[in-house]
Order: sequence, then C-alpha cells, then structure tokens
Amino acid sequence: MGLATGCLYALIALAMVIIYKTSEILNFSQGELAMVGAYIAFLLLDTLGLPFAVALPLTFLLSMALGALCELLFLQPARERARVIPLILLWGFTLFVLYLAGFVEPGVPVSLAVIVLVFAVWMTAETFSKRPLRKPTLLGLIIITLGLEMVLYGGAGGIWGSSQERLPALVSDTAGFEVGQVYLSGLDLITFGGSVLVMLLLFLFFRYSRLGIAMKATAQNPLAARLMGIRPGRIYSFTWALAALVGAFAGLLTASAQPLDNNLMMEPLLKGFAAAVLGGMHSLAGAVLGGCLLGVIESLVAGYLPDGTQYKSTVAFMIIILVLCIRPSGLLGRHYVKKV
Amino acid sequence: MDLQKSYKEDIRLFKKPSALVAFLGLIAGLIAFPFLMLKVSGGSYYINAVNLIAIYAIVAVGLNILVGYTGQISLGHAGFFAIGAYAQALLVVQGDVPVLAALIVAGLIAAVFGLLLGLPALRLEGPYLAIATLGFGMAVCQIIGRLDFLGGRMGFSVPPPGLSGWVKAWLAHLYSPELAVDAPQYAMYLLIIPICVILTIAAVNLMKSKIGRAFVAIRDSEVAAETIGVNLTRYKTTAFAVSAFYTGIAGGLYAHHMAFINPESFDLRLSIMFLAMVVVGGLGSVLGSHLGALLITLLMFALTAVRDVPEIIFGGIMILIILFEPLGLRGRWLKIKFYWKAWPF
Amino acid sequence: MTRKLMIILSILSAAMLVTGCPPKEEAEAPAEEPAKPAEPEQPAKADAAKTGVTDDTILVGQWSPQTGPAALWGAVARGTAAYFEMINAEGGIHGRKLKLLIRDDSYQAPKTKAAVMELAEKEGVFAFVGGVGTGPGMAVKDYLKEKKIPWIGPASGSSKWTGEFNRYLFSLYPTYTDEAKGLVRYLLETAKKGKIAMLYQNDDYGKEGLDAAKAELKKHGKELLAEVSVEMTDADLKSHVLKLKQAKPQAVILFVLPKHAAIAVGTAAKLKFKPLWVSTSTLSDAPLMHKITKGLWDGVVFDTFLELPDSDHPRVKKYREAYEKYGLKANPKEQWGLFFMAGFVFAEPFVEAVKRAGPDLDREKLVEALESLDKWDDGIGHNITFGPERRQGQKAVFLATCKQGKAVKLTDWIEIE
Repeated sequence: MGLATGCLYALIALAMVIIYKTSEILNFSQGELAMVGAYIAFLLLDTLGLPFAVALPLTFLLSMALGALCELLFLQPARERARVIPLILLWGFTLFVLYLAGFVEPGVPVSLAVIVLVFAVWMTAETFSKRPLRKPTLLGLIIITLGLEMVLYGGAGGIWGSSQERLPALVSDTAGFEVGQVYLSGLDLITFGGSVLVMLLLFLFFRYSRLGIAMKATAQNPLAARLMGIRPGRIYSFTWALAALVGAFAGLLTASAQPLDNNLMMEPLLKGFAAAVLGGMHSLAGAVLGGCLLGVIESLVAGYLPDGTQYKSTVAFMIIILVLCIRPSGLLGRHYVKKV
Repeated sequence: MDLQKSYKEDIRLFKKPSALVAFLGLIAGLIAFPFLMLKVSGGSYYINAVNLIAIYAIVAVGLNILVGYTGQISLGHAGFFAIGAYAQALLVVQGDVPVLAALIVAGLIAAVFGLLLGLPALRLEGPYLAIATLGFGMAVCQIIGRLDFLGGRMGFSVPPPGLSGWVKAWLAHLYSPELAVDAPQYAMYLLIIPICVILTIAAVNLMKSKIGRAFVAIRDSEVAAETIGVNLTRYKTTAFAVSAFYTGIAGGLYAHHMAFINPESFDLRLSIMFLAMVVVGGLGSVLGSHLGALLITLLMFALTAVRDVPEIIFGGIMILIILFEPLGLRGRWLKIKFYWKAWPF
Repeated sequence: MTRKLMIILSILSAAMLVTGCPPKEEAEAPAEEPAKPAEPEQPAKADAAKTGVTDDTILVGQWSPQTGPAALWGAVARGTAAYFEMINAEGGIHGRKLKLLIRDDSYQAPKTKAAVMELAEKEGVFAFVGGVGTGPGMAVKDYLKEKKIPWIGPASGSSKWTGEFNRYLFSLYPTYTDEAKGLVRYLLETAKKGKIAMLYQNDDYGKEGLDAAKAELKKHGKELLAEVSVEMTDADLKSHVLKLKQAKPQAVILFVLPKHAAIAVGTAAKLKFKPLWVSTSTLSDAPLMHKITKGLWDGVVFDTFLELPDSDHPRVKKYREAYEKYGLKANPKEQWGLFFMAGFVFAEPFVEAVKRAGPDLDREKLVEALESLDKWDDGIGHNITFGPERRQGQKAVFLATCKQGKAVKLTDWIEIE
C-alpha cells in the first residue's frame, strides 16, 4: 500500500534526478511545476470542459512547454552569461511591481517599487557597460530554482485563488477492491502501472534514442558534447521539459486523490527529493527504488507503531541518514572520485 | 595602498583608519537609534523590525560560516534555531537562569547538536548533505512537538528578559508611562544589538584566524587541504558546531522576542529563508550575511501589505539578484567600492 | 586562540555582571493572573483610547493568511471587509465609516507581530477584529493587552484566549473544548453510538479537541477506541484510516482540516469503512466539502456556530448580497461559504458595540458596550453574552448534516456548559 505513495515519490525523484544528472542542479521548483501541471489539467477539464482524451495530452504538452520555458528564461541566462533575457525578465518584473504599486489596492509599498525601479535602471546601465558578467555559483542556481518555486506557487495562487478544487478523475480513487489484505483502487493501479511505464520509457529513451544519449553526453562533458555537434542549451531545455512532464504526471495522480490547491506538491517534493537522495542522485533506477522504499517505510511506521502516524516522516529521514552514513552516495549512486 | 608589512597587519580587524571610523559611526548610530525612536510615533515598530533583523543576521552569519566559508550546505538550520529557542525558554522559565547565562548555555547546547550533525556530514556532500540536514531539521521539530514538558504542540510562552522590568521603570520615569508599555521592545534591543555586534566581530576574527583559513581551505579543495595538514574531521565538525552555536543564541533571543514559540514556526520554510539570506547577501562574507538578513526581513515585512501575490515578488527579487549579481548584495557593494576607488577611470 | 578565549571570557564576565545586577527583575516574575481581574486595571488614557477614531472614520485592523498553507482562511478577512462595506453603504455608524486594514501574515508569527505593530502604531487602528490562527494570535496577544487595544473575535477556538482574564480580548468562537463536548454528547445521547474513535490534527486545534473528547467520554464511563493523529503536511492517510478501521468504531470524530477530511473520507470509502463521521465547524461548509469529497460527504454530521451559508435566514441572505456586491468585486474568484461568512460573524458584535457606545467613541466605551451584550441574537451567531468578568461570547452551537451537497439542520441551538 505504501507502494502507491512510493511510486508518486518515485516520479518526483525521477524528475529531480533527470535534471541533476544533466546539470548538477537541485530543482526545488519541481513540485510547483507538477502542481501547475495539475492546475492546467483542472483548467482544461473543469473550466473548459474538454474531454479527457484531449485534455490529458494537452496538459502534458503544456507542462513540457512550461518546463522548457522556465529553463530558458531563468537558468540558461545564468549559465550562459546571456544579457538579453535577464533584461527582459528584469523589466517585466519591474513593470509588474509598478503596476501593483500604482493600480492595485492594497498594493506594493511605493518604497519597494522605487527600489526595484532603481535596481532595474542600474542593472540595465551596467549590462551595456561591457563589463564581463560573472556566472552564478551552483548554490546560486539552486536559489534561482527556489525563487522560481515561489513565483510558481504565488502565480498559481493568484490565478486560481486559495479555495480548494477537485480534479475530475478518469479513474476513481475510492471505488476499490480487495486483494488479500490490501485494498487497491483504480487509481492505485494506474499509479503503479504508470510509474513502471515511465521508468521503462525513460530507460529506453536514455539508452537507445539519440536525444537520450546526447543528454548523457552533455552531462558528462558539455564541452566535448558541443564539439560533437550537440547544443547543450537545447539539451538543458529539453531536460527540464522532460522533468516537467514526469512531474505533471505525478501532479495529476496526486491531485486525483486529494483536493487541489497550490500547496499540493509541497510535501511530495520533499519526499521525492529525499527519495532521490536515498537512491542516489545519479541513478534513475535509484530514484525509483528510493521512492518505493520511502513509501513503504512510511506506511510501515505509520501502520505498526503506536502514534506512528506522527513519526513516519522523521523515522524515514533518520533511516535515510543512516543509509547515507553507510553509503554516502545513496543506495545505487556511484561515488565519483574527484580529481584534484 | 594595500601593502602589508607584517602578519599582524594582515589580520588586523580594521585595515584602514576609515574602516574604524565607519565602524565607530555605526556603533554611535546604533546607540542613538532607540532614543530617536522614542520620539517617533510608531517607534517601537521599527525597533521590533531591527530586533528581528539582528536576530536573523546572527543566524545568517552562523550559516555563512558553514556554507560560505566552509563550503557545506545546510537545510536544517531552523532545527538549531529551535533548539536554541526551546533551551532558552526552558532555562529561563523552569530553571530560573538569568537570561544572558541561559543564552550562552542555549548556544552551547545547539553547538553540541551541531557537532553531532557534523559527524555524519563528514562523508556527505551536495544533495546528500542537504537531505541529511533537512532530516535533522524535521526531526528536531517533530521531537519538540512530542515533548510535553516543552509545551508540546501547544507552544511555550516566554517572558521578556528581566532587563525589561528595569527598562520599563526607567522609561516611565524619564519619558511617560505610555512609552513604558513598549519596554519589552527596547529591552530586547538592548540585549540583542550588543550580542549581535560582539558575535559579528567574533566571526570576522575567527575567519581571519587559523580556524577560518582552514574552513576556506576545505571549501576550496578538500583534498588539497588535507594534503597540507588540515584535519578535515576536526575542522568540519567545528564549522558545524560554531554555526550551530550562533544559530542557537539567535534562537534564544528569538524566544524572548516572540514571547511565544511553537514547533510549527521552525519549519523548512525558515531554513530555506536562512539559506536565501546567505546566498543573496553574499557567500563567504559576514557583511553579506547582514545585508541578506536585512533585505529578506524587510521584504517579508513590506509584503504583508501586498494582497495577492507576495510570493511572486519575493521569488522574483531573489532570482533577479542572483542573475544580475551572482556574488550577492555584498558583491554589489564591492563593485561600488571599487568603482569609487578607481574613479574617474 | 587567545583572541577567541578573550571574547568568551568577556562575554562570561559581562553575563556575571548583568546577572548580579538589580534583583528586582527576578522578583518581578510574571504573576499568575486568576481568571478574574485581581486589581482594578488602569483604563487606557483618554487620548490613547481615542486612537483610530476620527469624525468620519473608524480604523480597524485584521491579520490574515492571504497566502501560504492557510490561505483558505484568507477569506475571513475579505468577509469582514465586505461586511464593513455593507455597513458603510447603509450610512455607517453614528456618521462614521468603518475602514478595514488587512495585512497578510501567511500564518507566520513574526509577520503577524510586525503587521500588528505596524497597524497599531503606524496606522493607529482603533481595534482588531478577527485574526486567524492560534499561533499567530498568541504572538500578539500580550502586546495588544499591554497596549490596551481591543481585540474582538479571534478566528480560532482555542481556550487560550479566555484562560487568563484579559479585559481587552473578547472571544466569540466557541472553544474547541465546547465543540468536542457537543459532538460527543450528540453521539452518545442522540445518535446512540458509543463506540467512538477520533482523527485529529497534531496541533493545538486537534489536541484540545482530543483532550476534551476524552474527558467528556470519561464522564460517561467510556473511552476512545482509537486516536489517530494527522500531520498538517500529510497527504496519504491510508495508514491512518486503517488504524481507525481496525478499532471498529461506529463513529469517528474529525478534528482536522477540509483537505484531510476529504482524503480520509475518500480513503475510507476505498477501504470499505463506513462509520458515522462527525466533525467540527471547520468542516461545516457542506457544499465545499461535498465538492472536494466528490459527494462522499453526504451523511456527515457537524457542528457549527453560525447560520449555515445556504440557509434562508434573512441575515444570511443579506450577507450573501454583500458578497455579490462587494466580495466578488474585490476578488472575482471569491467563493461564498463558511470562511467568508466567518468574517461577518466575528465582526457583528463589534459593530453592535460601536453602535451602543454612541457617537463619543473610544476604546474604553467600546469595552463597556461589549460587556453590555447579553444573549445578543441579532447576528448570525447566537446568544452572545459578555460581562464585566466574562470574555467568552458564544457557547452555543447547533448540529447539521449534509444531504446531497446541502446542509440541513439537525438540532436547534445548544448551549454548551
């Protein structure tokens, strides 16, 4: 039973590992990408009333686009020392803040708006001063994903409001049937099946498709990959699109079993991250293994210990720490020896 | 010129007379500030804000020691913060220990936990270390929530420091009984600011010392550091312990500041906020920590008036600062300094 | 090393010094205030008491989780805003319009504190109305008390508001203890279901309910068959529901958030576990609950302390018009339901008291006017009673159930003693 939840964790873990493998970035906005995916589905299914056959693929496509867009707008400029896109972002943001300060009541305090404006002008002036730009550190990139997470969270909250919604589900999560001691619902089956399918597809993709191999190459040595004719920029965007896709799938599954609001994926993100670490950040199989293990451990603790429901997360994390003490790179991770 | 003629000069606290003057000016300003606020209407609001900024600045300095100088990562600093806060609460309320002594003990208790966390951290790095620290932070909150003598989930009320009674009488006598009501705020100011200044100077000193250099060596290259004789175990755990000590003391101050603590307030969001302060402010720089704490806290306060989408603004500002100024606010400050120095070239 | 040593030594010696200092602070240990005022408190000085009142405006403040994990409750503040606009459209009170200043604290205590200080000192509000959250509220409770700023209707049923007598804090929400008592009594006496289990949130809300339920059951010689706690962040409740099911109860008391109730009920259906669910007023928005449980909410019994959002009560209808006129205009995504209405119920006594205090309004008069409320029933609450020594305004609830997505009254108002 914990396996179903574990599969959800596994999906998020997979998404995070995909991005990590290619660029060593911890994508903290993974959860929100999934959440927005679920909201997109809600928009299509509930508000626009589209049928499932149309809405689902559209959701996936749009999520992929969103992922790629995020990477292009926010991460790529940081990496590639580009100038134009950050400026666009900067001015877009400044205008947004000014709009809030002027036209929406209660809005942003004027002092804040002024500061942002000054910052924008200053940065623009500097961009044209031909001074070499510095690249953010890895930690900086991670903070960017954190900022992105907040933007997505706030954005979804602003667009869809704070009330709880319910996603129309293809398969019921309540009509269930017994299999021995365990109760399963249609949704559980889809979760299992879907996750396994995703795993297999990803495995095949990375091993056999040109794009997959290109991604692995970029991960190992971006410069060499470039020499071979691969454009790292495109690869990174696609990586995010792929991760967003997997995340959207997880988001849909999660939103089918509980009310939808913008807090949907906060906890699964955490668990997914932990699962990815448990399994090894460089290993896709590890992500799945980690996810399933985490789900099962939590279920066992919650089920068999008195008051276990309070402890399950803590115990799970303790176990992860223990495992990390023994295997510092996760269960299936490969310990990369650093050359000096 | 920056010519240094001796080792002593290299580790001097104030490299130039102008730095010393600036520092003294700051101190004068800090002393004058509360008196000014007594005259301003709504003054205690600003004092409250400055108090919180100072508390977070202490945490940021501590975290920067770990992340910026030693190159580790921690997503669980809210755990040390909580340990400090609860230790302080217990000592002062149940143990009747005087506030200052309790603060030091709270810091030491947090440092012990820091040491404990540092041990498994020796072998971990990057995301693995992040998760380990995250787990620690979560565990702390869970366990505190379970312990009824710490108030459990219902929280714990903490009285203002004894100093507050003194300040109250003094204010009533010198100003007016209405202002005396604000005494807790001013008393906390009296308590927090000196501690913040002392800890900041201590941090700067520490980073210039052998220990600080060892930290930086570890950050830049662990293998090379070990080769030249830096004992990784000793220094890494020390880094954790010192970082935890700072955060613990800040936690103790926070307990008095908020007058009420409950486990929910020390969650992952807080740890992430601390990390953001350090990165946005400037890694590896005490000044950066202060700037980061200042920015993030002010932003937090300013956004309470925004109705719909404060998170977008918060996140947006973070992203833009990193994009345009990867070295953080401190990097920007350095650029200004150099520009000024090199003018008119 | 010497430098560090010196620093440590100096800190220690400073500590010694200060602790040796004036012993009077130690003796000034916070005195335990009994539930009644021990000595006559100095009423607020004349000018301070008039803060926030001008010839044409009364400034009122409220903190609210407009964003963050508790954003669902953000509707409360918006409800109060709509209510005030409605009152203003009717001419205000004694020629003054009510102006509500809302600050978003995202349910974080430091932000609540900053917001309250800003509103109290910089904006100079007259009083605070509403205010979601026990944690955030506790952070500002003492400050408001010290400053002698009236606070009416905290949007939380914690018993902490009335534990210690506080002249300026008027609680309206019946305590969680009272609600739990009401639910248990209903189960034992009316529904005749003695085998009871409980699912509770692991915080002061759930814990207070748990303790009260257990105490009430003990009085009748019974015990809870199972008590299972839910963390705020939990999303998978299979283990929880299994534990409940294993205890084989006839009824389960829910002291949780809407999200968890929805998941619990859904999971239970999957596990073929169908007890009688009873819940608190937090889950009393039947149409909302029906929607998010995809219809499984039918048959659930809950208590509530204000008229039902879809009832025909004339006041409810009037407020609904206010929602359409003002609420939707301010926020097109606004939903009509419990949380929005709660913004009205916490402010009604305040408005009544302002009326009673007369044109010469100040904080002390407001307190006296509030104290004059005795079984006041003109709002959507019931029998609001305050007094010189009573600060818990409402102790009455009534029970209802959900039938096909609509709430249906089961009992009349019940006073909980």
